[in-house]
Amino acid sequence: MAQNSSAKESIKEMKRLKNEPLLLIAILAIIAFICLFVVYPVIKVVVFPSLTDYAKLFNNQRWFTALKNSLLMTLISTISCTALAFLFAYVNNRLDVPCKGLFRFASLLPIVSPPFIVALSYILLFGVQGIITKQLFGIHIDIYGRTGLWIVQTITFFPYAYSVINGVMQAISTNLEYAAYNMGATRWQVFRNVFWPLCRPGVAGGALVAAINVLTDFGNPMMIGGDMALLPTEAYMQISGWYDMNTASVLAVALLIPALVLFVVKNFWVGKRSYVTVTGKETSLEPYPIPKFIKWLLFGITMFFTIFILLVYGTLVYGAFTKAWGYDWSLTLKNVQYVFLKGNQIRNSIVYGLIASLGASLLSMILAYIVQKKQVGVNKLLDFFAILPGAIPGMFLGIGYVMAFNSQPLELTGTAAIMILALMFWNIPTCYNSATAGLQQIGNSVEDAALNLGANSFRSFKDVIIPLLKAPFLSSFVLSFLRSVTCLSVVIFLYSPSTTVGTISVMVLVQSGQWGEAAAFTTILIAIAFTVLRITQGILKKQGIDLKL
Amino acid sequence: MKYFIEFRNVVKKFGDFTALDHISLGIPKGNFVTLLGPSGCGKTTLMRQLAGFSEPDEGDVFVNGKRMNGLPPYKRNTPLVFQEYALFPHMTVYENISYGLRLKKLPKSDVDQKVRQMLKMFNLEGLEDRFPRQMSGGQQQRVAFARALVMDQEVLLLDEPLSNLDAKLRVEVRTELRQLQQRFGITAMYVTHDQDEALSMSDIIAVMQHGKIEQVGTPWEIYFRPVNRFVADFVGTVNFLTAKVAGRDNNILRVEHNGHILRIYSDVPAAVGEMITLVVRPECIRIAREDEGIPDHACIRGSIKSYSFLGRMIRYWIQVGNDEFIIDDNDIDLNGARSGSVNLYLDTRKIHILRDGGAHADS
Repeated sequence: MAQNSSAKESIKEMKRLKNEPLLLIAILAIIAFICLFVVYPVIKVVVFPSLTDYAKLFNNQRWFTALKNSLLMTLISTISCTALAFLFAYVNNRLDVPCKGLFRFASLLPIVSPPFIVALSYILLFGVQGIITKQLFGIHIDIYGRTGLWIVQTITFFPYAYSVINGVMQAISTNLEYAAYNMGATRWQVFRNVFWPLCRPGVAGGALVAAINVLTDFGNPMMIGGDMALLPTEAYMQISGWYDMNTASVLAVALLIPALVLFVVKNFWVGKRSYVTVTGKETSLEPYPIPKFIKWLLFGITMFFTIFILLVYGTLVYGAFTKAWGYDWSLTLKNVQYVFLKGNQIRNSIVYGLIASLGASLLSMILAYIVQKKQVGVNKLLDFFAILPGAIPGMFLGIGYVMAFNSQPLELTGTAAIMILALMFWNIPTCYNSATAGLQQIGNSVEDAALNLGANSFRSFKDVIIPLLKAPFLSSFVLSFLRSVTCLSVVIFLYSPSTTVGTISVMVLVQSGQWGEAAAFTTILIAIAFTVLRITQGILKKQGIDLKL
Repeated sequence: MKYFIEFRNVVKKFGDFTALDHISLGIPKGNFVTLLGPSGCGKTTLMRQLAGFSEPDEGDVFVNGKRMNGLPPYKRNTPLVFQEYALFPHMTVYENISYGLRLKKLPKSDVDQKVRQMLKMFNLEGLEDRFPRQMSGGQQQRVAFARALVMDQEVLLLDEPLSNLDAKLRVEVRTELRQLQQRFGITAMYVTHDQDEALSMSDIIAVMQHGKIEQVGTPWEIYFRPVNRFVADFVGTVNFLTAKVAGRDNNILRVEHNGHILRIYSDVPAAVGEMITLVVRPECIRIAREDEGIPDHACIRGSIKSYSFLGRMIRYWIQVGNDEFIIDDNDIDLNGARSGSVNLYLDTRKIHILRDGGAHADS
């Protein structure tokens, strides 16, 4: 009955769209765009191989191992990421210790960096020419393979889990813990019965975010995976080495399925399970002190990882100015000069990032506005379309674009357009979430108030909605730009000699052992990302808004 | 009678839910009318029909004789003060207050003069360059009032504007608000679920429940002459007594309660043998002094269960037969509260009779 009447409502709302042709056109255009540039490429990849090709996944020992390895790496890296993220969040929210600002900085760095930077630095530190292994201890250890990748992925992806867990933990009032102590609970009981259950949705959400990132990670396995076969890297080898689209598609689909499962669980299960309500009025007490011994132990562990992260970035900068890593430690500017010689690639990174981000944030803004503020009968469908690209691993999207847009009428292979479009649609869920969060802060009655005072629909949109959308637009634009400039997995299948971007150059340099140039390239990419981030944060701060990553 | 604001048979449905069920209500010019009711009763929805944020499925809305149906909100000239103020977060106090005037393309000097007047009236001088987020809740609320009043309209709509203020401020503001409304002769429509606000500010109160108006009347009528148990119970504290009509002597009704005859002044045409409900406000009944002789027809016996000392009075909970009574006693003994069995003295002139068959609402 209720179902029936809500369906009727929807139809009534859709009929009303006839009077708002502009809105109708916008909705149809968005649906068409997403079908063409997201759904269509995905279908292309899925239907490309035959059933016997799919059977190879289980017959062929190497592919099956790749599948197993990918799942295993996802499992162990997710556990370590989540544990580390929980530790950082706990220290940040519940301990009275110094250096918290430093910890927060360290947990932010990997998010604004190219995904392979930790791998690169790890090689510089512990590799054959490593500054610690060779120079300090004169030993040689094999860092390539499972353990190396595990460490690298943990450092790279724990910040994503951290930002989720930290957000949830921040919203848990310490009063609840005091209430439990007051009723006679011991420290351990308070943790187990009150604090932990309240954190659990955050931990689950954080773990899933980390898992999706680890599973679809391309850069780190490429650089440090060694002989270990993983789905994303194997798929890449098949295309770049043997032009075997069949096998690449099979491997990509094998990657898509667990990614989809994680995505669905994250969005439709965990998404609804947060107990935290932010009332804003409650005044929380200072966290209840924990025993000194445990406090400083936790502080020590956090400090250890923080120093490691800072070392990673320090090494990179040092590497960028070193003549020949492992042989000649004297300082030089030649690596930086090399980057400027290849200025075209940095320029491509920036230009593609800007255009794609502009497109993604504009489209997401319109989409979020319609979904949040207009009743059009298909709100749920539009919302689903907006987050859909988030379910698709970057490399899958890349392969999809290769297959979907290699012939007339949409022959885009090798063009800048295909790079921009791929980055744009890959970024839509990020932008959409950011835009939605911004829009939700604008109370519904603000628009009503403008109408009430005599502003017509156009004036209220111009005077009230547009100015209020500036901040969410800017923050989604910046997030998208950061992701675009540091993206490797999407573009690795799509670039041509004239459309190479910075991240691809780094990968090629690493593969040929040109550490100094690779480090210089990465340093400059991070510098660009950080500059843009800080400028935007500064602008937003003036308007009283915190840009959250 | 000619009404300034009028709703005629207004119906509004959301899916299967009927938010407004054939509402008719007329408000004379210059009146302060309050829509009072529990949340979900339709009071805000009714106001939104007037402001034009939503259109009725059936029925008409008139302002000053002009039919408003179909008119977009920005052409209605019905300034509204929102519950959560809805100040534009990106505009300063000055810009917020002047926004409506600027839309009307008033000359700059006029705008400035009117805004200054508001700033002064609402004690906001010196704050004109602040943004809403830099101000306290009380200040934001005053900006919201100023932004609506500066429009100089004959109508003002207020949607629970005091609900976000603390108790003391709320009492202050409601007095000021009433004075303002009377000074400017504005026809005001006020939505609240707070009976004290309704009683203290209104010329007319409309009590609503389940999308219907239960009763329209002056605060006195609503309080002392409620039409049913819901209204009596929602507006103020009340004791219900089920009784049977035993007979009538001119303007005195003899009713039987628990085998005891009470004599009530009433012109309600209740028939002999009819079951009725007596509506007894706490202040219509008092505890007799121990040595006091009370006429038998105005006396009920009970025993004190508990009490709460409130300074200027004591509130007693008293068991009377199967019912529990609430009685406010102003005649406080300095030595403490009473206890044990007591005689209750009814002020039989203030007791109201409901011809509802005498049945308790639920039990």
